[in-house]
Amino acid sequence: MAEEFLVAKELHKSFNEHKAVDGVSFTIHKGENFGLLGPNGAGKTTTIRMLSTVLKPDSGDVTVAGHSVKHDSDAVRDIIGFCPQELALYEELSALDNMVFFGRMVGLDGKEAKAQAMKHLEMMGLANRAKGKIAKFSGGMKRRINLAIALMGDPELLFLDEPTVGIDPQSRNNIYETIEGLQAKGMTILYTTHYMEEANRLCDRVAIIDGGKIIALDTPHNLKSQIGPPDKVTLEDVFLKLTGRSLRD
Amino acid sequence: MKRLTHIWFIALKDLKLFATDRGALFFFILFPFLFITLFTFMDIGATEDTRLQLHMVSQEAEGGLSYQIIDALESAGDWEIIVMDYDEAYQAVEDKEISGFVAFPADFTEGIMTGAGTELEVVTDAEATSRRAALYGLSQTIASRVGAQYVIANATIELLIEQGIIAPDDSAAIEQVIQPILAGQGGGEAFIEYRTEKVGEVEEESASNWVIPGYLVMFVFFGAAVGAETIVRERQNHTLERLLASSVRQEAILGGIFTGTAAKGLIQILLFWVVGILAFNLDLGPSPAAGIILSILTVIMSAAFAVMLATLVKTQRSAGSIAVLASLVLAPLGGCWWPLFILPQWMQALAKITPHGWATTGFNKLMLFGADFGAVVPEMLALVGFAVLFSAIAVWRFRTSAVE
Repeated sequence: MAEEFLVAKELHKSFNEHKAVDGVSFTIHKGENFGLLGPNGAGKTTTIRMLSTVLKPDSGDVTVAGHSVKHDSDAVRDIIGFCPQELALYEELSALDNMVFFGRMVGLDGKEAKAQAMKHLEMMGLANRAKGKIAKFSGGMKRRINLAIALMGDPELLFLDEPTVGIDPQSRNNIYETIEGLQAKGMTILYTTHYMEEANRLCDRVAIIDGGKIIALDTPHNLKSQIGPPDKVTLEDVFLKLTGRSLRD
Repeated sequence: MKRLTHIWFIALKDLKLFATDRGALFFFILFPFLFITLFTFMDIGATEDTRLQLHMVSQEAEGGLSYQIIDALESAGDWEIIVMDYDEAYQAVEDKEISGFVAFPADFTEGIMTGAGTELEVVTDAEATSRRAALYGLSQTIASRVGAQYVIANATIELLIEQGIIAPDDSAAIEQVIQPILAGQGGGEAFIEYRTEKVGEVEEESASNWVIPGYLVMFVFFGAAVGAETIVRERQNHTLERLLASSVRQEAILGGIFTGTAAKGLIQILLFWVVGILAFNLDLGPSPAAGIILSILTVIMSAAFAVMLATLVKTQRSAGSIAVLASLVLAPLGGCWWPLFILPQWMQALAKITPHGWATTGFNKLMLFGADFGAVVPEMLALVGFAVLFSAIAVWRFRTSAVE
């Protein structure tokens, strides 16, 4: 059994009267790609923000490589990479400037930041656009840069919050291949998505979250086998069965 | 060291973004200079005659002694004497068009001739303390000199009567003797004397010495306050969230944002001073170091306000609206559009609640009244106080407002 790399225990977070996360607990093992699935407003982004130290939990705790996000958040931040759901980029700067800037923010020196930036841009198929302004990039290119920035500093644990939303199939495929390559190198990943085929393809284990609570957690194969033959049902069938078919905000 | 590096790179990134924004460059740099050029030249055109103006009223009939006194003052040439009607002058003081006048009563000559005495009237605006002192001084001089001439005239008449040269009841002869003495034409001293010592060339006060510091304070504050929008944008486009999840500590993020905003203000203020000195003959006064420190503190206070504003509002639109509103309210209240010392006392007191009021008072002390470093220490401390207050609120709010 691989070592436990991230342990979330009884996480709670409320905004005013609304309970966004209500007692979430799970463990991610080193080198694992862990999927967090859920409908809109289920609590995925709030959970990922607490895991990545951006938000403080009201109660409960998370440890990453033994460091508590509550008591030793600086140490946690030193080993994580974070790709937010939104395009967190400086549109008026070039792709290279964005990457070098965030590289400096994770502690790289100038030379190293530039070298890593070029390496990741190459991996994303954007090396020839390194000096182009982000504002002039397509949605797919921006998504790839958004992910590439999260890789600066070679983090041990990568948080990817819906990294493929609203992009073309080519860009999406490039992102899949990149993530698979990172997994092959032993990187631990927490991945949230709406796309079930993504989770099925990329994730070793999947937690389905709804109403701020985890309602199922297992491998995609085991989850599918709960409602029928795994080769006949899809993860989407499981998801709809567990979360219902009613529309969400 | 790591934190300082982070602060430096965040500030550098903000400056890079600023340099790519042509609209911001126009409003930060060119627009303020257009304003200053316009208002400096408007003001210079209004002050062609640099002599001190003295408003005087005589209620006597033409030919009275008061007219001779006024002629004597005018012939000295140092003052521009403006003779007015009493009611017109009184109304002008009430309307604050002039700050005061000296009035000779209708019985001025008669009072002196008969020895019954008379009164000079000084009318001034209650708040024009220096003008009141000057007019009192002038009136006292007139009264004492007229008194001295009266003693001489009486002694002369008594001597002439005693020697039988004129009869005691010959009023025509007495008047013939007394008039030239009182008017200073008796061969003695002139009625009112002037002595001028030249201790160097007198330079006309340049309007830019108060226009530029005033607009400098206004535009540095305005530029920084509007910069709050950029900080809010950083939160809205989630780059701030990304920074929070990286190795950068919260205080380094705040420090970087603050430094970037302050750096823009320093560039602005450097351009103000360089162009002000080269193009507008700006005089920094006897303590340029105090002017520089006051400028830097103005920038620091403004940057702290911008960061505080960014942590208090939710959207870019509200950041922009509040920045413009705060700038347009605080600038006139704080003496950026006109010197505070020409305003009524209550407005001068009100200015003390604004950082602008302290900054402009400091610059006016240095550049208009020739104050030294020590005289502007209270203004410097007040700006430090505002900066600390704004920063404390920003730090407190940043913990809860950083993530959307």
